[in-house]
Parts: sequence; C-alpha cells; structure tokens
Amino acid sequence: MLFQSNRAECDTKLIKNSNTSPTITQRSLIKLGAMTFALTLTLSTFSASFAAEHIIQLTAEETQDDGFGNKLLAYKMLSHKVNGTDITSRYSAEATIPGPTIELTEGDTVKISIQNAIPGNNTPIPGISRQVSIHVHGVHYDILSDGTLKVINKNFDEGAGAGLEETYVIYEYQWNVAAGTAGTWAYHDHNFETHNGAEHKGLFGAIIVNKIGAPNFDKDYVLYLGDDAFWGMEIDGASKTQSKHGTNPTLAATKNSNVRFHLIALGTDIHTFKLDGYKWVDPGTTNLINHIAIGPLEKHVFNVIAKNSAHYEDNDFSNKLLGMRGKFLVR
Amino acid sequence: MKIKNAFSLKKSITTILFLVITLLISQFALAATHNIALTAETLPNGQIAYALAGNEAVIPGPTLFVRKGDTVNVSLTNNTSIKIGFRVPDLARSGSGRIQPGKTKNYKIKASKTGSFVYHGDSDGKELLGLFGAIIVDKAHGPVDSYVNADGSIIPVTSADIDKQFVLFMVGSTFWGTEISGDGMQQKPLWANPNPGAVENDIIRFHILSIGPGHTFHLHAHRWLKTGTSEVIDTKLLEEKTDTHSFTVKAGTGVGTGSWQYHCHLIAHMEAGMHGSFRVDPIGGDGASEVGASPYGRILLGPKDEPGLVTFEITDEPASWFRSARGDALVGLGLGIKTKSLEVIAPGSSVNFIMSDTNAVHTISSLLWPTGAHHMPFNQTDAYRGGGILRLDTPGLYVFTCKVHPYMFGAVIVDDPETTHAEGILGLALDLGDKASDFKIDLVTGIKGLPTNSDLAIRLLRTFFVATAPDNWQDYSSGSWNVKFPDLSVVISGAPFSKELTDGGVAAPLSILDISGELLPTPIPPTEHGVGEVWINTQFEKTASKYKPGTITVVDATDWTVKRKIGLPEIDMNNPHNMWPNRDQSIIYQTQWFDNKLTMIKRKNGQLIKNIRVGYAPSHVMTLPTNDDATIAINGENSIAVIPAGTTHVTKMMPTQGRGHTSANPHGHWVSADGSRIVTPNINTGDIGIYAADGDIHARTVTGQGAPGAHPIAIGMMPDSSKIYATNLLHHSLSVLNGNTGELIKTVNLIADYDPIDGSFSDNDGNGEIAVGVLPIQTPVSPDGKAVVIAATGGQIVIVDTATDSIVKMLPCDPGCHGANFGAKQGGGYYAYVTSKFSNRLIVVDTDPNGDGNLSDAAIVGTISLVSREDTVSDDAISHLPGFGGQGVLPIPNVYNGWVQNLPENWKAGLTAAQRNPIGD
Repeated sequence: MLFQSNRAECDTKLIKNSNTSPTITQRSLIKLGAMTFALTLTLSTFSASFAAEHIIQLTAEETQDDGFGNKLLAYKMLSHKVNGTDITSRYSAEATIPGPTIELTEGDTVKISIQNAIPGNNTPIPGISRQVSIHVHGVHYDILSDGTLKVINKNFDEGAGAGLEETYVIYEYQWNVAAGTAGTWAYHDHNFETHNGAEHKGLFGAIIVNKIGAPNFDKDYVLYLGDDAFWGMEIDGASKTQSKHGTNPTLAATKNSNVRFHLIALGTDIHTFKLDGYKWVDPGTTNLINHIAIGPLEKHVFNVIAKNSAHYEDNDFSNKLLGMRGKFLVR
Repeated sequence: MKIKNAFSLKKSITTILFLVITLLISQFALAATHNIALTAETLPNGQIAYALAGNEAVIPGPTLFVRKGDTVNVSLTNNTSIKIGFRVPDLARSGSGRIQPGKTKNYKIKASKTGSFVYHGDSDGKELLGLFGAIIVDKAHGPVDSYVNADGSIIPVTSADIDKQFVLFMVGSTFWGTEISGDGMQQKPLWANPNPGAVENDIIRFHILSIGPGHTFHLHAHRWLKTGTSEVIDTKLLEEKTDTHSFTVKAGTGVGTGSWQYHCHLIAHMEAGMHGSFRVDPIGGDGASEVGASPYGRILLGPKDEPGLVTFEITDEPASWFRSARGDALVGLGLGIKTKSLEVIAPGSSVNFIMSDTNAVHTISSLLWPTGAHHMPFNQTDAYRGGGILRLDTPGLYVFTCKVHPYMFGAVIVDDPETTHAEGILGLALDLGDKASDFKIDLVTGIKGLPTNSDLAIRLLRTFFVATAPDNWQDYSSGSWNVKFPDLSVVISGAPFSKELTDGGVAAPLSILDISGELLPTPIPPTEHGVGEVWINTQFEKTASKYKPGTITVVDATDWTVKRKIGLPEIDMNNPHNMWPNRDQSIIYQTQWFDNKLTMIKRKNGQLIKNIRVGYAPSHVMTLPTNDDATIAINGENSIAVIPAGTTHVTKMMPTQGRGHTSANPHGHWVSADGSRIVTPNINTGDIGIYAADGDIHARTVTGQGAPGAHPIAIGMMPDSSKIYATNLLHHSLSVLNGNTGELIKTVNLIADYDPIDGSFSDNDGNGEIAVGVLPIQTPVSPDGKAVVIAATGGQIVIVDTATDSIVKMLPCDPGCHGANFGAKQGGGYYAYVTSKFSNRLIVVDTDPNGDGNLSDAAIVGTISLVSREDTVSDDAISHLPGFGGQGVLPIPNVYNGWVQNLPENWKAGLTAAQRNPIGD
C-alpha cells in the first residue's frame, strides 16, 4: 500500500508524513482528533458544577521479554491532570498489563493522547501498520476519536506511529463522558499491525465511569479475562493508588469492607467467571447470581462485602486446567 | 476467461429485492394465525437457504414478525438434495421432523413469549450453510423496545417509531444481513458482511442472532440496553448453539455521523474477517446500505453481475477438509474434476469458510497467493471454532490450509475476465497468477515471485490435486495408480518446467500432469519378522457404523498379517492420529486429532476403556518413563495435558508459553529417556520448546533461521537425550539441537539437492548422495541412537546418520508419507515402520541390515498391505478408503531407551540383550 504524501497544503500544519519530510519537527506531526461536529457538551451542562476536565497522556511500549525473546505490549501513564491537578502518581511508573485504569465521572470531558515507544514505529512498512491507538468503549466521541485506521473510519489513521497511510508522533482523542455512560468500559489498541490492533498482545485497559455522587468503594479490582489468565490490578479506595498488576493477582480486602469487581473479557475465549462462596447482583437487575458467562469486551461489574477468602476462577475447560484462577484474600 | 459467459445457466433467477410479507403482520389485537409457505433451495454457490414461496431464497431466511400469542403455521417444501427441517429451539413447535428432498411438511409454532428467536434447518450442521432466519415476537401493544438518547435518557419506541431494522446473523466468522423497513413489510437481502446504512438520528432496530459457535457483537460508538435490564452496554455475548439479542439505537446519537465499525469481538473472528460498517450519513444523506458478497454473484456459473461469494465447509472428512458447498456439483460437471476443494471466482468476489462439519479447532491460513495480492497472508493468531471471509481482488491462485492440520487444503482461482487465452476444451484458461506480476506466486515461507511454470509451483499444484481427491491416491489393492487433473487449462508464467518466462503467460492444460496406469506392486512383507505388533493409525479409513473417519490397523509383526481393525463406532472415533502404550503395554492411548478426545483402548482386544476430553486437536501422546503419566500435546491450543498413570482425567494442562503470549500449538512432542524433559515442536510460534516434566519452560529455540513459516512439526531424541531432532515441515529442513540446553547445533536443508525451478536433482550439498525430503514430518531416532528416519510427505524417506548429522540415504515413499517409528526386529536390530496418508501400505525400513553400524546399506525390506483380510478381526465393517490415511505408528513392545527397561518380563523375553538395554550402562 502506498503512503499518502500529497495532502492539501492547508493541512500540513497538522498532518505530515515522516518519510517524505524527515526534517520536520515533532510539533507538526501531532494530530488532534478535533471534534469538528459539536459533541454538544451543553448536553452535560446540567452537571457543570461537577464536570471535570481530564488531560491524559499515554504511551505504548514493549514489555521485557519472557526470557525467550517474546515480548508483549503495554500502555503506560505519562500524565493525568484533572482540572489542572496532577494525579499521575496514582498510576504505576511502569508500563503495565492491564494498562492504567482511568476513573471518570459522568459529565467529565477527556483529552487523551497516545504516543508510541515501540521500536521502529516511525518507519512505514507497506501494508503493515506500526501505529498504536486508543479505541474506547462506552463514552461519547466523534469519528476522529474512534482510534481506528482510515480503512475503517474513512478519515485518518487515528493513532501514533506509522499507520497504513499516515504517520503521527502523537494522536489526541476527545471523549465526552456524557450522562448515560456510567459503567466500566474497555479501552484498547485498534491499529497495531492490522486494523484489528494488538489488544490481545497487552494493549488494553479500563475506564471506570461513576455516576455523579456515586459511593466510593474500599477497593476496586479490575480483572481482565484473557485466553489463559486473568490480568488484573487493585485500586485502593482512599489513595486511588493502583497496584498488583499482572496475571492471576492475589486481591486483598479487609474483612467486611465493600469492594467492587470490574470484569472485562478479551481474546477469543468465552468464560464462566466464579468467585467461590459469593453471590452478587447481576447489573441492571435485582437477581443474585454466583457465576457469569462473559465474552470478549463484555463487562460485568459487581460489588460484594468481603467476608471470607475465596478463589476467583474461569470455568472454561482448558483455562481451568491451565490454572486460570487467583486468590481473593480477606483479612 | 469470462465467467459470466463461460457456462450458460439453465434457468435465470428472477431478482426480487423486496419480499413483501403482508401475511406476517397482524393488524389486530387478537392473536393471529400466520400461514407461511416456505421452500428450501440450493443457491448457485451450493449454499442452502429458505425462500418465501415464489421468491428468491435468501440468507438469512425471511424474517417473520409476529405478536405474542400468535400462531405460525409453516408449510415447508424441501427443494434441496438433503434432509432438512424447521426448528425454533426456544419456542414450542408441533409438527413432523425432517423432510426428505422433494417433500413438504407442516410445522406449527406458538409465539408464547416475546423476543427474537432463531429458526433453522435442523440438519446436522448443514443449517450453518444458510438455513437459518429470525422470528421476532413483539408485545401485542405498546413499546417494543427503548434506546439510550444522547443525554442518557431512556426513550421507549413503538413499531411506528422505527425507521429501519437490520438483521445480522453471526455464523462462523461471517455476518449475514437483511435490511427491513420499520414496519417489517419490506425485506432486502444484504448478504455477507454488508455495510448497513442510516441517516443521523434515525431510529434503528438491530436484531443480532447467532447459530453455531459463540460470538460477541460490538458496534462502535453506540450504546444500548441489555435486554430485560437497565444495564447500558455496547458489546453482547451470543452464546454457542443459538442465541439472539435485539436492541434499538438512535443512529449517531451523541457521537455524530461516520463509518462506525461493527464486528465480532473475538480476536480470532476479527482476524478471520468478521466485520462491517454501520454507515451513519448526515441528515439529508440517503443512508443507503451497501450490499455484501452474494451467493448469486460473480463466481463460476454465478447468475448475477454483483460481488459473489463461494463457501467452503471445513470438515473432518478425508480429502474434503475444505469442501466447496457445491463440491459435488463441480465434480459432476464432467470436466474431470476430482477435488471438491477448488473454487473459481471473479476479482472482487469473496471466499467464505464455515467450520460446520468438524469437531476440532482450525485456522484459515494462506499457504500461497498471487504475487501482488493485498492483505496476504490471511491468517489468525490462534486456532478457533468459527469460519472466515475475505475478498480477493488480484487474479491468481490462492491456497488455504489449517496451521494445525497442515494437509487440509482449499484453493480458489481468481480469474481475470480480461485475460482471454482460448485454450482447453471449454475454450477458457484460468489465471494462476496476476498478469501484472507475470503470473507469479508468493509462499508463506517467505519465497516471493515464484514463477507458476517452475517445478516447485507445479509440485505444489500436484500435491493439492492428489491430497484433495481420493481417486488420485495410491491404492495398492488395485495394482495401478491414476492421477486425473481437471480438463481445464491454466495460465502460468511460461512453458511448464522452463526457466524462461513468457510475456503474457502461457496457457497449459492441466492434463499434461495426468498419471495413467502406473504400476503399483503387490506389497511383499519382509522375510525377517519383527517382534510383537505394529499399531497404525489408518486415519482416513471409513467404517459403516460411524460418521467420522479413522481406524487403528493392528499388524502382527510375527507373521505380517492384518490382525485387527479398531473403529470404535460407539464413540464415533474421529481421525485417530497418534498412539503410545502404558508401561505394561496393556493400554494404548489414542489421540483424536480432529476432535478434543484422548481414548484409552485395551491392547489385547481393541476394546474401549474410556474416551477422555483433553482439549482441542490432541495430536501426540507419550508417557513419562519415570512415572507412566501420559502427556498429550494439545495441538489446537497452548499446552501439554497430563493424565496421571492409572487415572482417566486430565489433572493439569502445562502451558507451552508464558501467560498472554501467542499460543505455541505443540504437535509431535518427545520425552527424554530419563523423563526429565518434554520437547515440543511449536507449530504456531516456529520454535522448539523444552519443558521440565512439571511444566517449567527451560528453552524455546526458533528454527526458521530468520524466515517465516518454518512449521516445526515433530521431534526425535537421542536415547541418551543428548540431541534433539526436529523437522520443519514448510522449510523442508531438520534442526539439530542440544538435548540439554536446546541450543541450535545445525540445520540440515533437506532439499539442497533440488532445483525448485527446473526440478533437476544433483548432489548440491556434496554428501555423495542425491537425497531430498520434501515436507518432512516424523523423525524418530533409532533406540540404539544410530539413525534418524524422516518420513517426508513429498514421498521420500530420508536417513540421517547421528554420528555426522548428515543425510546418508534417500528411499522412496508413497504420497503423503507421514509416520515413522522403530520396533524390535526378531533376533536383534530394529525396523523403522513408515506410513503414508495417501496410500494403503506400510513400508518397513531396515536402517542397518548387516548390523555393521554403517547406514549406507539402509533399505526398504518389505511392504505390508493395510487392507483388511478375511481373517481380520474388526469392530465395524470397512466401508470406504480401505487402509488409507497412515499416520501415527506404534510398535509394541515399546523398545525406546528409558521405556524398554520398564517392560514386563513377558515382553522383555522376546528381545535380545542389546534390545533390552539399547545404549548399554
């Protein structure tokens, strides 16, 4: 596939192709996914007194190899400011799987940019995208913030690095965390290598959209159900510090505390999640359940009062035998 | 050739874009009765579909809109050639079962609850070819659904509010769509992977349905309610078998116009092409949908001038692993076509795959494609259950395989209507490449621009036509071998086998490759007998009382008779692939490679002990010599399963890769003689994995030397575990690794002596022998550690001397040469038993007949027919493909170092002292 190099001149302050202008400054390679169609923020003005503006910078990196030359990819939080206040310290300083969990409230607005630290990402390869992107679920955004390749969205290669047609150093997305978007949603890459992206190679994370005035939880656990393991993290309710990233983490809770599980599946397997000995309310209903079938990119959020230590696990035939389970440690 | 003109269609099919279903809408509040006349039809591409009587048959079938409490009377006429029916799994149905071809039956469905329901053809998986549709049961009064508005409010909608409806059926890895007016009165087929269209703020009701393996449906930038809850979602699971999910959105609300992708969110299905776009046009736009690929479109014999679609069923059936939905019709055309795995389409048409007749997981992966073709290779990271779809624009030959089962082949020729070679009996010639690229092809192994007139390209073509047509296999009972190629001409890069290219290509009849009446000698067993028995997986042999193929053929090594055939009809044993015995040789472990089962069989009488679920596509099984636990390579997945000795359940699966890393998909593993290491050839990641017996990953050594697609497939190990031998199927090479560290010591090129352009052979590697091993598979090391025997599916047996790790001899083998293993020879020494998929005899090799340690006298000492004799004991009657499909081979007793020492005394008694202790103390 050829790389586009003859865009209209008026566009060049925003868009350039690195292979045609190697001396160009980084500034001019930054692409803003501007909301040309008014994502009418007025829709959320009723909550204007609560609405926060988030400015977030993420990057994507290769992880350390597994000892045998195989690497995964991971997002890292570079900076997160809420109404000018820097809250970056709540995140890991390293790239993690899952990526940073971004907590938002209905009514907020988000400008989130992606950079690309994967080696060689600026060198275009015909027919192969080296871009990474952020495609988010749940919240509102216009087509320029879809985080997909031009072959899908018909506008731009909406990511950082050399896409199929365009190269950007930074791509910025704008999200409107509108009323009606409360819930936990995935974000993930949609652009690396093909138009399907590298979500299955580690480029995924979660956003938690709370309703205005929603209660806080003592702990939030984000558990991604992958094809051979849970990838999780724990968020402290008071400090908001994120920790225990990785596979099948041991999740800790204080006895009788109110904790919330955020499940999102990802990959090819369809799972049956269990938390032994616990029942919870099936979201959107009043039904109590003790297991849930969950497929890739579905989400399932529930809270329990931590009473007894237990195991969480996937009941899929192979995953169970592979040891796809972890401890929920209540003390 | 010009596809539209190539064949005249018997009957032109009237195009009816809009089906009027006046009968289906109840105008009254009272429960109504709907009388619907349906027919089931065969479409031009061989798929089957329902039609409202007199209308065009469509996929999905006509959408039936009724109200709760209504009764639906269906009168169904079966105009297909198979038995079909009408089932609504989640609604009560009365009426008779399935319908013979040409007959009509009536069914009564009670719409007792609201919701969306799948109806389907109830025909053993054939319904996945198109016999499915939706029944939408709405409340008699009031709103039928709600949507989530831009401001988060939930707005109820009545039927009258709906501007447009889309049915999207998720089947395999393909969406099948219908556009329906808000009132349900007008329905237009959108076919495969369409782009539904709307205008911003239109109220759109989606009906997502599925049949077959499960999916998740995701639509970008839109939200809706999970049925029956207040939960806002943007992705919904559709569970295996049948499932539905209807929801309503306001197009672009809160997000605006755009081309919003919809797709299944299972990674494997995304990679297999399961996506389209929901186009939301600005107000004032037409909001028109774009129709996808149609079974009536531009394919060979296709009646309509629109993008067409051919469909392959993925099956467990020998030869027809990729079976065109109209394979029988193509064979019946009278063009000498023996394969059901070849299709012809015009540029811009699509090829569809559906895993409808298999119990395993697979990939749909490109093996070769025309130079210059876009989006190649088509591939998926993991094996899965589903299907695949892709559009092919560039003229030429595309061959697809399954990475897990790499002799499953399907081929599509995209023929350019602008090239007009007037050759062949039909006056047409099919393009094997693109004129713009001199009709060359690229291979998945990194070879680019291979001329289609080269020997290698023609060899690959021959391999395809032999593997996919049992009529072209070597039947040693018949005495002669005939290979018939289709009576078609193909356009290739130049004169066949020439090093020269011809501008504009050369049209050549495929029949120049025909083989006629080649003598197949009657098998003559070795004069010297072996010890014990030889168990052979005649994986393609069919028996009368079961559907799936495959038997075990037991040869008595003491008189070379076929003593037993084991089909296990009670479990429908499916493609038995490889075996291993327990310590006392009383139990044989048997893998079912196109399934998810390992079977335990009593060696003495061939009876079933237990059929055990182990994970998808179990390929090889070996015991640990230390504790007799069975280890099973789970070829379709990412692990080695363990069944402890004396038990019948998998207790753990040991991952073959780190968590979250690409599945290794191990195939033919080997265990070190001391039981400390399990060594796997990882077909998906192109490396050799060395694992501790408890699963720790010690090493992973890449074998491809920088080129893609090596496909390591089988392992042999020295009896002292000092070296590992691994064959790389698609690189035609043998990797030699340090048995302790996994370090790569040497790569032996098994086709060094072959010129891929003109096909000549010469001693290019200077070892004094002209020897090649094309597509090498099993590679055991003799129990005394002297010889490696490689069965190469290209039809050779290659002997490698372990002292020098170089080739010392090539012996002829049969097409599809595959399995090899060593057993004891009476009085000392060993026989290597070699099997072939596309013949029905066993070849017996003595690597050192005079026992002097020099392998230069290695020879075939006999061959044995694998066809049942009158005195053969059998648990089922052989019905088809007698003795064919030789793959795994297991001599009993097991005389490999580490295992032989554990044999019971009665088995040891038949062995010499050297055989009992093959490498001394």
